[in-house]
Amino acid sequence: MSDGAPVLEVENLNVSRSGDLVIEGANFRIDRKDYVGVVGPNGGGKTTLLLAILGMLPKQSGTIRLFGEPTESFTGWEKVAYVSQNAINFDPSFPLTVKELVGLGRVNRRNLGRRLGREDWDEVEKAMQLMGMTDISERRVGELSGGQKQRAFVAKALVRNPEMIFLDEPVAGVDASTQEKFYQKMSDLNSKKGITILIVSHDLAAVFCRMSKVICVNREVNVSEITPGEDPNKILRKAYGEHFHFVYHDHKCEGEF
Amino acid sequence: MIQLVAASLLDLLGYQFFQYALIGGTIATLACAWIGLFLVLRKEAMIVDGVAHTAFGGIAIGLFLGVAPLIPALAVSVLAVLAITYMRRKGLAQSDSAIAVMLALGFSTGLIVISLAGGFNVELFSYLFGSILTISQADLILITGLSIFIIAFMTVFYKELLAITFDEGSSRLTGIPVEALALAFNLMVAVTIVVTIKIIGIILVVALVVIPALSALQFRLSFRKTMLASIIIGVVSMISGLFLSAIYNVATSGVIVFVALGFFLALAAYNRLR
Repeated sequence: MSDGAPVLEVENLNVSRSGDLVIEGANFRIDRKDYVGVVGPNGGGKTTLLLAILGMLPKQSGTIRLFGEPTESFTGWEKVAYVSQNAINFDPSFPLTVKELVGLGRVNRRNLGRRLGREDWDEVEKAMQLMGMTDISERRVGELSGGQKQRAFVAKALVRNPEMIFLDEPVAGVDASTQEKFYQKMSDLNSKKGITILIVSHDLAAVFCRMSKVICVNREVNVSEITPGEDPNKILRKAYGEHFHFVYHDHKCEGEF
Repeated sequence: MIQLVAASLLDLLGYQFFQYALIGGTIATLACAWIGLFLVLRKEAMIVDGVAHTAFGGIAIGLFLGVAPLIPALAVSVLAVLAITYMRRKGLAQSDSAIAVMLALGFSTGLIVISLAGGFNVELFSYLFGSILTISQADLILITGLSIFIIAFMTVFYKELLAITFDEGSSRLTGIPVEALALAFNLMVAVTIVVTIKIIGIILVVALVVIPALSALQFRLSFRKTMLASIIIGVVSMISGLFLSAIYNVATSGVIVFVALGFFLALAAYNRLR
């Protein structure tokens, strides 16, 4: 649960891609320790919103502040980690072991031109342990299953000890039981380590069962607190349209996960 | 027979030209292997061929003006890399087209300059096809100095180069100077080409850079071990190629590349069959 300190503030944000307005007038804030689901139809602008926040796509107008600083002058990027939707679609013949991949997460502008030290490799061990990858640390990433690859990339993101992590559809194409384990792990990171987490997901049940806030994106951006017992359809129809109906049993959350 | 061959191989080692060839060839191969694996993984292997052909213009200018040809070749290669980078960033041309433009510019300049200078001569052929056995002491010093510079750069920025080769986007997010490093790397490619031209020739430079890396990738190892395998394959191809060409009295650069190709074919076949 959040502790009220804003880590992400978005004001009047407009973002265009190839001339079309994809995000229009977004206004919202995310507080520290929030666990946020980003939902909405395909092509609605979820990934665009994330990329704009991370400064990887230019915004048309508006303000984005991370940890109180406008992103243009933000210098604390090591506090922020991001796992892209396409992370696992790399060339499978790329010669890289899990350990080497996670090690890359320790590379940043402050250790430019220096070798990773013992402290770095200790963090690599910890991150691999956290994501249950220790046994396969010497395996090549290209040879892993989809779920294992995802966990390896999350370990790479976590190895920097970020305060905030953005995950773009981290469990797409992974079987249901692996997805459940993944969301469980993320819940633990959020509650035990206090990491603010934003996950783009199509798994609405996981979002409403586990997370504290939901961002609905379909050109417009609406942010709602998730209150147990409340009908999620009220929130979801803002993004998916009036005829959308999500069958959801609140009481099932505990049992399902 | 074997004793005779062994004795003649030992004899070879006594000749200064052969010692220079061994030392220069090995050092240049180390630089090529370091650069080559990154290039193959960045899917930019053909920049080597393009820039090497552009360097031909520099060689011709050097021969025309009567200065050491590798110096203008280095200048032209560096300019070619800068121009390719500029064209890509400004959206003037895609990577492969930008390389094609520079190749055309360099090679056609070379042809014009040569015709002005009175046509092709033996020295020009030695740059086109390589002449490792005629490396002078000055060449050796240049090759060694530049190779040490390349290897030092690659060693210092090893982890950053691996990071941007694997994923440019997320490297940018962590504050790694992606553009600057990519440009510096491409400049190292230009230097590597110039180092290797005298040894293997303009036309086959790309083979010495790319084939050891491609062969090493067949082992499916970690990045570190793949790099090591690539270096070993490169050096073994160079040294055995040198000796084989001396024994059978055939073109040295051809034999070196043939040995490297042999490694690649054998490892690729092994990889398919296992």
